[in-house]
Amino acid sequence: MHSCKETKERITELLLDEADSTPDTTLSAELLKCGDCRNEFATLKATLRMTKRSREQSAPTEAYWNTYHAKLRYNLVHANSTDESHRPSLVARFFNFSIPVPAPVALALMLVVALLVPTVMRADRQPTAPPPQIVQVPVEKPVIQEKVVTRVVYRERRLHARVSKRVVDEASKVEDTFAKSQKPQTEIPASFAGFKPTEEVKLTVIKGGSPK
Amino acid sequence: MTENDTDLIRRAQADDIDAFCLLAQRYARRIHLLAFHYCRNAQDAEDLSQEVWMKAYQALRSFRSDSSFYTWLRRITINAFLNHRRSTLFRKNGQTTAVQLVQIDDEPLESRAVSPENVYTKVLFENVVDALAELTPSQRLAFLLRHYEGMTYDEIAAAMNCSSGTVKKGVSRAITKLRAKLSPDTLAPDLDTPEPLTSLASEY
Repeated sequence: MHSCKETKERITELLLDEADSTPDTTLSAELLKCGDCRNEFATLKATLRMTKRSREQSAPTEAYWNTYHAKLRYNLVHANSTDESHRPSLVARFFNFSIPVPAPVALALMLVVALLVPTVMRADRQPTAPPPQIVQVPVEKPVIQEKVVTRVVYRERRLHARVSKRVVDEASKVEDTFAKSQKPQTEIPASFAGFKPTEEVKLTVIKGGSPK
Repeated sequence: MTENDTDLIRRAQADDIDAFCLLAQRYARRIHLLAFHYCRNAQDAEDLSQEVWMKAYQALRSFRSDSSFYTWLRRITINAFLNHRRSTLFRKNGQTTAVQLVQIDDEPLESRAVSPENVYTKVLFENVVDALAELTPSQRLAFLLRHYEGMTYDEIAAAMNCSSGTVKKGVSRAITKLRAKLSPDTLAPDLDTPEPLTSLASEY
């Protein structure tokens, strides 16, 4: 069954594809059947033919080309001289030097660098220990100093009781003597002879020392 | 690529400007023609084609002979076109085309033989250039590369960084627009002389 849409698409292809010079018999048959498609074919062909002819017509003359090529040569020479004058110095070229590297290689290098950098940084953080230096310093050994404290405590009560008894005895004796004599010139005055403090602490400190 | 081209390229790669100029003389017309139909302005076309040659000279060391010199050059040209489209310097008016054409011919109109054929081709040319102005830059570039350069849809798609379906659609629309824009009078000569369909089909 004839389809104008399909036929028109094929016409365009056929007209554009100049390399394919084999006659399309089925298309010819379609064109014979349909007047619209035939008209489409003719107008499209005429359009393309006109554009081709106009292309040939638009070619400039020889005089134009002489000027054109002279201008091109001038531009090329000028660009070359500009390149020479603007050529960077050796140092600049050294710093701008680059080598094209394939992407996988570049990726692998980046990975290696990424792995190495933390390792190097960790190594830098650890202080480099200097060689051990042996210094002999005499050190005094601490000696435990013993301190013995002896405390002698006199018990007060018995002594006091004895003393007081003796004092009372002595006092009674004195009173008896005083009463017997009844003479003031012959009275024996009370004395503290033999008196001892009621409490006495005797401390004996034994100090220790470092052995020589 | 002929042997001569190889020698010239080798010399040009060694900063031999004369060799490069010889290469330019061989291919400048095709590049300029493409640029002219793309820009529809003689001055823009000249600037653009000169720019293409300068870029080619700078990039010549990277040429590896994987393809022909012209294929490599055409790729630079297409990139220059695409960049040119993005630049603000692009002149959008196609009105000066006819005047510019006289200027680049560098030849007064009076000196040309005024024949009906010449008049017809001149009118035809102006009409076609006007019709090309109706296309979008992408459509125009796709059409020129397909129709003038004979590139395949896949090649155009790779060069323009789009799908081949987009290119195909663009070319089809471009042809339709061109047909609509071109007056029936200019189409008449072909229509008046009907050809056998089989011969039309086999011609293309």
